[in-house]
This record gives sequence, C-alpha cells and structure tokens, in this order.
Amino acid sequence: MAGNDGKSKLSFLPTGSKLHKISALLTLLLLILAFSFTSTAFLTVNNGLTVLLQTSVIGLLAIGMTMVIITGGIDLSVGSVLALAGVAAGLVIKAGVPVIPAMALGIMAGAACGFVNGLVITKMRITPFVATLGMMMIARGIALQLTGAAPISRLGEAFGTLGNGTFFRVVEMQDNGFPKVIFAGIPYPAVLLIIMAIIGAFLLQKRQIGRHIFSVGSNEEAARLSGVNVDRTKIWAYTASGALAGLAGMVLMSRLVTVQPNEGVMYELDAIAASVIGGASLMGGVGSISGSMIGSFIIGVLRNGLNMAGTSAFIQQIIIGIVVIGAVYIDQFRNKK
Amino acid sequence: MLDTASPKTPLIQMTDIDKQFGGVHAVQGVSVDLYPSEVVGVLGHNGAGKSCLMRMLSGAMTLSGGQISVNGEDVDLKSPQDAKKYGIETIYQTLALANHLDAAANLFLGRELKTRFGNLDEGRMYTETQEALRQLNPNFKNLKDPVSKLSGGQRQVIAIARAIYFQAKVLIMDEPTAALGPSETAMVADLTIRLKNEGIGIFLISHDMHDVFDLCDRVIVMNKGRNVGAFRIEDVNKDDILSLIIKGTLPDDWTPRGQAV
Ligand SMILES: Nc1ncnc2c1ncn2[C@@H]1O[C@H](COP(=O)(O)OP(=O)(O)O)[C@@H](O)[C@H]1O
Ligand SMILES: [Mg+2]
Repeated sequence: MAGNDGKSKLSFLPTGSKLHKISALLTLLLLILAFSFTSTAFLTVNNGLTVLLQTSVIGLLAIGMTMVIITGGIDLSVGSVLALAGVAAGLVIKAGVPVIPAMALGIMAGAACGFVNGLVITKMRITPFVATLGMMMIARGIALQLTGAAPISRLGEAFGTLGNGTFFRVVEMQDNGFPKVIFAGIPYPAVLLIIMAIIGAFLLQKRQIGRHIFSVGSNEEAARLSGVNVDRTKIWAYTASGALAGLAGMVLMSRLVTVQPNEGVMYELDAIAASVIGGASLMGGVGSISGSMIGSFIIGVLRNGLNMAGTSAFIQQIIIGIVVIGAVYIDQFRNKK
Repeated sequence: MLDTASPKTPLIQMTDIDKQFGGVHAVQGVSVDLYPSEVVGVLGHNGAGKSCLMRMLSGAMTLSGGQISVNGEDVDLKSPQDAKKYGIETIYQTLALANHLDAAANLFLGRELKTRFGNLDEGRMYTETQEALRQLNPNFKNLKDPVSKLSGGQRQVIAIARAIYFQAKVLIMDEPTAALGPSETAMVADLTIRLKNEGIGIFLISHDMHDVFDLCDRVIVMNKGRNVGAFRIEDVNKDDILSLIIKGTLPDDWTPRGQAV
C-alpha cells in the first residue's frame, strides 16, 4: 500500500506523539532561553526552584487530567474540588484533628468528588463535560457554604510544612548574626510532584489499569467487547483525578497556610492546557504523563518569565491562550495523518 | 426438516431468540444449535440480523426474548466476559480493535499477561502474539505499530488470532475474510477445518458461497430477522440458498438434494 511505503521511507522520523513531545520540549527550552535574555534573575537556581514550586499544583492536577483525557473524557471540576478538599482539611483541623489525618481526609474528599463524577458519567450516562461542570459548581458551592466564603486561618505551623518545607536547605550564620540562605532547598511540593508523576506514568504504562484507560479512549466498544470493564476503568480515572486535585489542594493551602475557599478558580483550564500542550488528544487514546509535565512547565515558565519581565497578568492570559490554540492546532494536524 | 439425531448434547442451543431496537425487529424467533466439530453457516442479506444473533451469543448484546444454553445448561450472558468464560470467542465484523494500541496489546486486551508483581508482561505478550500471528500470516511485521497503521488484512488477522488464542470451544466468525486477500483467505479456511477437527464448534457468517460449501456442515438462512431455512449442506445447492437469501423461500420445485442417510 502507498501509505505503508511512505511510512517505511520516513521511519527514521519520530512519529505521532513522540514528535509532539519533542516539539513541546523544544518549546520549553526556547522559552527558558528567551526569558534568560529578558531577565538576568530568571536563569538562577533560586528562580528555578520557584518555578518548580509554582508548577507543582498545576502539575499534580495535570496528572489526573491526563488520565481522564486519555479515556476520552474531561474533568472540569478539579479547581473546585481542590478548594473543597482544602476546606474539608481546614475545618477538621479547626475541630482538633491533627494535620496529617486532616490532610488525608482532604485528599479523600477529593477522591470522593471524583468517584461521584465517575458514577454520574457511567451509570447516569451524562457526558463528562456536563457531569464535571455540575461537580465544578457543586464542589465550589459546598466549599463557600461551609466557610461562609471566609478564609480559614491560624491553622498552625504544621499545616504549612507540606507547602513550604524543603529538602537540603543550606543556611549559613553570618558574622553579623543574621542567617544567609546559600541554597533555598528543594521544595516538598516539587518532590511530591515528581513522585506522583512517576507513579502516574508507571500506572499508565506498566499496569493493566493504564492499558485499559488507553483502550477505553481509543475504542470504547472494542474495549467492552474485549472484556475490559469500561465503567470501572472510567470511575477509576475520575477518582484518581479527584484525589490528585485533593492533594494539589493540600499543597496550595499549606503553602498559603490558610484555607481559601475561593482558590483554584480556572485551574482546570491550566491543567487541560498542560495535558494538551503535552500531546494528550481530547479525542481520547493518546497522552502521556511526561508530556503533561512538559506542558505544565511550559505554562509555569511562561507565567514566571512573563512576571519577571514585568508583563501584566492580562497579557499573560492572552499569551497562554495563544499557546493552547497552537498546541491543539498541532494536535489536529497530527490526527489528520 | 433437519435430522440432528446426534447422541451428544449441543454445545450451543439458541431457542426462540428475539431482538428489538425500538420498532426495529432485528431478530424474530430464531432457533439454532451447534455441535462440537461442526461448522454452521449463518447466511442472509445485509441487515438480515446475522450479526445481532451472533452478538447475543457473544454477550455483546442483551436478548429481548428467548433462551441460550451451553452444553445443555441455561445461561445468561450479560457481558462478553460471561461468554468468554464459557469458551465462546468471537471475531467481530467490526474487528473490535483499539486503534491506538499495537497488535499485542489488542490480542491480550482485557486478558493481559502479568508478571509476578502484577505488572504487564510486555515481553511474553509480544512473543506470544508473534507466534499466534505467524500461524496465520508468516510475513506479519509491524508488531509494534498501532493497529491504525496496519492494512485491513493485517487488522483482520489480529482479530482472528485473538479469537483462537484463548482455546475457544465455540468460535463465532462474523465475515472473517471480508478484508483478506486470496492467500490469507485460504489460510483462514485451513484454520477453520483444523479447529473443527479439534472439536471446536464454529458459527460462520460469510457471503462467499465457495467458502460456505467448502466449510459448512449445516447452514441456516435468515431473512428480515427470521430463520427461513436450516439444512444440511448436502441437501441444498447454491441456487436454493440464493433463493432463500433473496426471496426468503425455496424454489418451488425443491426437494432435498442429498441422499437421505
Ligand atoms: N445497535 C443497533 N441499534 C439499532 N438497530 C440495530 C443495531 N444493530 C443492528 N441494528 C439493526 O438490526 C438489523 C440487523 O442488523 P445486523 O444483525 O447487523 O445484520 P447483518 O449482520 O445480517 O447484516 C438491521 O436493520 C440493523 O439496522
Ligand atoms: Mg453483519
């Protein structure tokens, strides 16, 4: 066949998703290069760590979002679920529960929201867009109702550890008695993101659930006829997305050392953008955690670099919007082939 | 009409099967049975209800009415997994392949091989797939390409390999050679005979009269959802079958062609 001949001739070129990932990685490197010219403070270790920290929340959301997108779905609720999870943790801490079990409860609240998304999608046969749009409003509403829209503060120092703690921080005492930070340390959230990304990639690539997630997004009917439990697979993906949104909520609220029921608005769009920039196809069946991490960093670096260059928040939105459209354009171009 | 005084119980007995989609009566009161080491052809026009009848046996579609029994035992096939538990494997007309996955991932989809630690055993799935595909097409390459990149024939070979890999007792082949070239078609015919001799019962849906007369022991003909005739293959000729497929009746002067044994 003509198609096959063409393919064998071009087989030394990376195909499909690999090509997309390479172009995303190149984009990231170009951005870093460009920003290091616009601002001398950009390409420093400390700023690098800041980007890591800022990217960790959207990166955590993007891991779950990618799994959902690969099943052919979408999760619009993660920003609200993040806030609700934070509120759940904050309220039980106020009621006297220690920080770690309270955070575990927050993550479970996120997982529960995701589980409900999965049930509504599979059992009530509501499309993912509508089901998670509903959950986006419900979770936000619950978070605001429970708190009266007021932040929960004075949660204790331990609550701030997850978001503000670091490994390998080096501080030197100076002669004048003031400490001098030599190395800011690797933030806990960055380490957490790396761990969760590795687990996510492992589940998608090496475990049966990952294989089933891809098959459901690729051809749901074929997956069902092959004996894949399609409903269970989808519920699993939405639950994972909810749990990761809960975890991202813990990181973000801990960093602020305050629970803000208004936090996380429009974060779902950043997470979707990160997945799509990283090569996930909204048609399902395609996507990777590594790509989505590159996508998260593209958004994180863009925000950070534009900030340091003094670009207004409005211009930032415009630029990120253009990047998303560009990425989806590449996606379409790829799907046509 | 049909002399099935076989001493064995049938592998499959489908009795009075009905399937409705809203107002569409896709299958009406069809009964058919299948014995070990037997190939039964299911014939009819496009839209006659052949695929629907078979999908109910695959567990891919629920029954509106009727009863299915396997080895004399009444069963309720709620899902494809249920059917597979009874050793009923299907080559679907649509092939049922996940386009973004490669041959091995498709062959083992839903029944992945795992290592001791529960991880996917890619190496073993790959070698098993290579072996299974080689039996059907010795030149099969591109095992690691997503199946969307493969030709129609290669895709069909994967669907066939998947159905026979898992030691089927009953095999449903819904137009298995539609996308195949002559040599692959001949290979599938050989395979059908080999599987039949191993004791497997096979339902074969085909429009190829040559295959039907070469391979089938019996045929049933469907027309507008009804079973309009069931015969031993010796008792009919091509014209009889075409008349049944098109008009739903036998030629006026028909008498059984074969000798009563
Ligand atoms: N899922 C479905 N929903 C509605 N109608 C269907 C469905 N599947 C099949 N049909 C209808 O049932 C009839 C029989 O179809 P089918 O069994 O595929 O025919 P065949 O395999 O003999 O060509 C056709 O009229 C078809 O349109
Ligand atoms: Mg059909």
